[in-house]
Amino acid sequence: MRSLALALWGLVLLVSSLSGRLDLLLRGIFHPLVGLSGVVLLVLAALQLPAELGPGRRPPSPRTWWWSGAVALLVLVLPPNPSFSDLAANRPAELGEEAELSFLLPPAQRSLTDWVRLLRSQPDPSLYAGDPVRISGFVWPQPGESPQLARLLVRCCLADATPVGLPVRWPPGEVPRADQWLAVQGTMAVEEHHGQSRSVVVAQRITPIARPSRPLEP
Amino acid sequence: MERLATAWAIFQGLLLEALPFLLIGVAIASLARWLAPGGGWLRKLPRHALLGPLTGAALGFALPACECGNVPVARRLLAGGAPLGTALGFLFAAPVLNPIVLASTWAAFPNQPWLLAARPGGALLLSLLLASVLRLLPEAHLLAPALLEERRLSQPLAEVGLLERRSGLVGTVSPPPLPVQPSRPPLQEVLEHGSREFLDLAALLVLGCAIAATVQTLLPRSWLLAVGGAPTLSVLSLMLLAVVVSVCSSVDAFLALGFAAQITPGALLAFLVLGPVVDLKLLGLFRVLFQPRAIALTAAAAGVAVLVLGQWVNLLLL
Repeated sequence: MRSLALALWGLVLLVSSLSGRLDLLLRGIFHPLVGLSGVVLLVLAALQLPAELGPGRRPPSPRTWWWSGAVALLVLVLPPNPSFSDLAANRPAELGEEAELSFLLPPAQRSLTDWVRLLRSQPDPSLYAGDPVRISGFVWPQPGESPQLARLLVRCCLADATPVGLPVRWPPGEVPRADQWLAVQGTMAVEEHHGQSRSVVVAQRITPIARPSRPLEP
Repeated sequence: MERLATAWAIFQGLLLEALPFLLIGVAIASLARWLAPGGGWLRKLPRHALLGPLTGAALGFALPACECGNVPVARRLLAGGAPLGTALGFLFAAPVLNPIVLASTWAAFPNQPWLLAARPGGALLLSLLLASVLRLLPEAHLLAPALLEERRLSQPLAEVGLLERRSGLVGTVSPPPLPVQPSRPPLQEVLEHGSREFLDLAALLVLGCAIAATVQTLLPRSWLLAVGGAPTLSVLSLMLLAVVVSVCSSVDAFLALGFAAQITPGALLAFLVLGPVVDLKLLGLFRVLFQPRAIALTAAAAGVAVLVLGQWVNLLLL
């Protein structure tokens, strides 16, 4: 059972690493460590298998190994499929002090995260009115107002994911459903929101897209 | 159903991030067992009430691992007969007092130099306090039974209380000699022992990650951050957040960066000091070291101490 349990956990780490599942779960810097740990566990399992299969008495395997092995099997069989809007709804949208931009891309090349960082560091909506916008993200419903287009920032793993979103003025009658991934082209405009002016993306062209292979941003 | 899928993904994220660090910790512990089989050097570590935990804390610089990796190393120290204070000092301080965590704290908060001193200082104070509090319990009430058995084998009989002895002579005048220094175990045995330890700890980690993922999914984080400006409530809410989020100490500073502007400085420090010592993921792992009563005492003492520390920092800086 020991070799089997080690091999199962090794497979979990290696399969998660090779199948791209980690792109949904962890920041890229941890990926090689996870893959390498998987290989080490598989090697450990292979080294101990002959002794386990050979003659002689072996101590019984603790029950905890069986149920944790069952969890490992479940992880292998059921890949992660989180609802990004559900995750985002549960977290406050904050960028912190590192929101300062080190350089500025032309408006049409800015990603959604670039735009949010720019708007936080220089929050004067009139500066950006009329700028072209080409962004992509998932639909993040907002209580009492129209949904935003958002991305999740991750510093370690999904447990610390923080949403960043941009208000979008959707074409009449075209309010998208939560969690849907969209590419939006349009222009930046200014609107009044609770007595303050803010930047809003006026969507002109909306294209449904598949979830990107690396949906989390650092 | 969506919520269940999200909790499942958070669970996998926490688990897959922690397992490699657990493996590193077990590897360090196994290497120590192979290189110094009798653990003779462990028994030479200082026993002094203050010097012991300080030495343990300093070991963090030599064995950089975050809190998941620390548990198997601390277990090895205790099983090898290291003084209790030294092992506890290592367990509680080393997750912060190591080069990786200090560098990540500096990288996340380069403009807050007070935090670079306060985080390791707070972690050291907390480890000293916890080591002193836990030493009040007799070892038989403190350590998990399996660990206690292993530890007894490495200790001179004279150090074991009469009621706790299972062998030896009662009433000898001179202390009986230490057990014969065992020879280096075969590599196959070390691998087997390390594998067993990894699988035992992985099962507990699965439990801790499952609890942390469930609580995180059900409890909106905005509730915990809603009281950001209030001195006491902000410290308490960030302490609760540290316990719930259960991220590794090597990256928690980057997470704290996300909400540092919203909260009081005391709350920020409380988050960075408490998380590496007590969180939902760790409470499962602690079961290989401590009895449930000692785990509860650790959580309660750490909670009170960090609350006082956070309040004091708020008093100074607000």
